[in-house]
Amino acid sequence: MDTSLHAPDAAELPIVYIDGEDLRRFLASGVTEQTGYSYSWEGEGVTHLHLHPLRHAFGSTGSVLFCRQAPAEVVADYAVEVAADGTARLLIAADDSWHEHPAMLIPAQSELFSRSKGILEVGALAGKRVMIVGLGSFGSQIAIELAKAGVGSFALMDFDRVELHNLMRHTCVANELGRLKTDAIADAILGKNPYAEVDRYPVNINRHPDLMLSEVERADIVICATDNNESRFNLSRTLVEAGKPGIFGRAVTRAEGGDVFIYRPGEACYSCLIGTGMFRQGEEEITDEASARRDGRIASYMSAADADAVVQVGLSADIEPICNMMVKLTLVELSRGLDTGIASLEDELVYNYYIWANRRERRHANWSAMPNAGAKPTIMRWYGAHIATDPSCTICGMGSLDLGAVDEDMALLQEIQALNASTLDDNTDDSTEQ
Amino acid sequence: MIDSTRQQMETQVLNHYLPATAYRFMDIGTSQPYLMMGMLTNSGKTYTIRIDLAHFPESVPEVYVTKMLYTKQGTAMDSPSASMHTLSSKYGFTRICHYGSNSWSPRVSLYKIFIKCRLWVEIYELHLKTGRPMDYYLNHQS
Ligand SMILES: [Zn+2]
Repeated sequence: MDTSLHAPDAAELPIVYIDGEDLRRFLASGVTEQTGYSYSWEGEGVTHLHLHPLRHAFGSTGSVLFCRQAPAEVVADYAVEVAADGTARLLIAADDSWHEHPAMLIPAQSELFSRSKGILEVGALAGKRVMIVGLGSFGSQIAIELAKAGVGSFALMDFDRVELHNLMRHTCVANELGRLKTDAIADAILGKNPYAEVDRYPVNINRHPDLMLSEVERADIVICATDNNESRFNLSRTLVEAGKPGIFGRAVTRAEGGDVFIYRPGEACYSCLIGTGMFRQGEEEITDEASARRDGRIASYMSAADADAVVQVGLSADIEPICNMMVKLTLVELSRGLDTGIASLEDELVYNYYIWANRRERRHANWSAMPNAGAKPTIMRWYGAHIATDPSCTICGMGSLDLGAVDEDMALLQEIQALNASTLDDNTDDSTEQ
Repeated sequence: MIDSTRQQMETQVLNHYLPATAYRFMDIGTSQPYLMMGMLTNSGKTYTIRIDLAHFPESVPEVYVTKMLYTKQGTAMDSPSASMHTLSSKYGFTRICHYGSNSWSPRVSLYKIFIKCRLWVEIYELHLKTGRPMDYYLNHQS
């Protein structure tokens, strides 16, 4: 849009931005006056003017009159005169009169991602919807990266609030303590893309299977970034049922490494992966004691001191590569079939399971040092693998139950029974069992 | 939550190993389905086991002996104990620790859980005889 506005220099505070899309809306509506909202960062001399209240708020709020011609008397904090050709003039109220002031435009939707044009066609991803389950250190970063890439629609699921213990690796900042993560991340997404559609679900998804199914069906892809297996298994089953792709990622102990699994309909599901020896459930990084106690990863009889030793939080820099891979895989899936600059990645990211090591510790202790590693596995490189469909998988295959070690259990049972038979009661008073 | 396909698969396996009178699915179709299973120990005592199926097979099901059990020392087994392999009780029942969430997979059958429970009960009876903690006989389920 061509406007008469020009950028103010630093001496011309406040710096005022007018919502360009709102100028169009105002003209198109045909009304001559409509009061909107001004948002200012207190003490910073920066103000944004909108016709409609923002879903993310900051600082102090005031009023702005969008009009064809400003009234003589001062009736709002700001007035925006919109001419028929779409040009606008900003007036600021001071000393009971209007003062003309320069202003800039918040770009309209079509201009917002012009910088990434050529790599990712903006229009394509604006119509895509991503469901993100879990907005911790993984989910929060991934959500914002996808917003930056131009994904236009999100469903956010997490019932947690921003707390001190999860702040350091999280995108949220200290003055967001106590906010629902769904609200805080929705704001972060809208900050990158004010035109994104963001649906917030501050619920435990495991207790809302109908919501889970309907949201999976609406989504083009699902990011599973929770720290508990119940939601992973629930999601896995729902993805198979709905025929939607999904991405599962996690860090192992102290984020010494991590892995990423992608479910593509028709291929191996997350439960197939669990059945293979490659996936070690017990080594998962535990970063949140309350959450781990809830689902039994930390046994309820474990003392606070013991639990403290189990909770080992890795570096944010160590989980970023894993988040990054999840984002790339998501973008490739979303742009499949579209003519984009990342289409070539379709021929590279062909695996469904990816492993990464940050340090040569524990599980990766026998990996090679980076110098002279040659073809041998070393740190900070992705390794892909094909996980095959397990025909007996109860989720995606014909289904058969795991009875594998029943014989072992039976043998142990017989042993115990024999021991029981040969053990004499050391106390004839057997009144303890009631 | 357990669906009808899964229930059929479980029933097939249970029928293979147990008489049909040894188990019964309860409140199927509600939000709190569960399975009741009877067991007879070598000493001739009978126990009933309740397996809650509201979140099965996605997570480890809660399993109870349908009464409050007591240790040889006379303490109610109503709270989490590492040495006695119990968790916080519910319904006034002793809750037993049978599977750790780290080794859980949705493919684990109810029959397998049943065998773990039989093992638990036999060891409980051993404990009543010797006074040794159940831990002594049973390594922790990882
Ligand atoms: Zn599968």
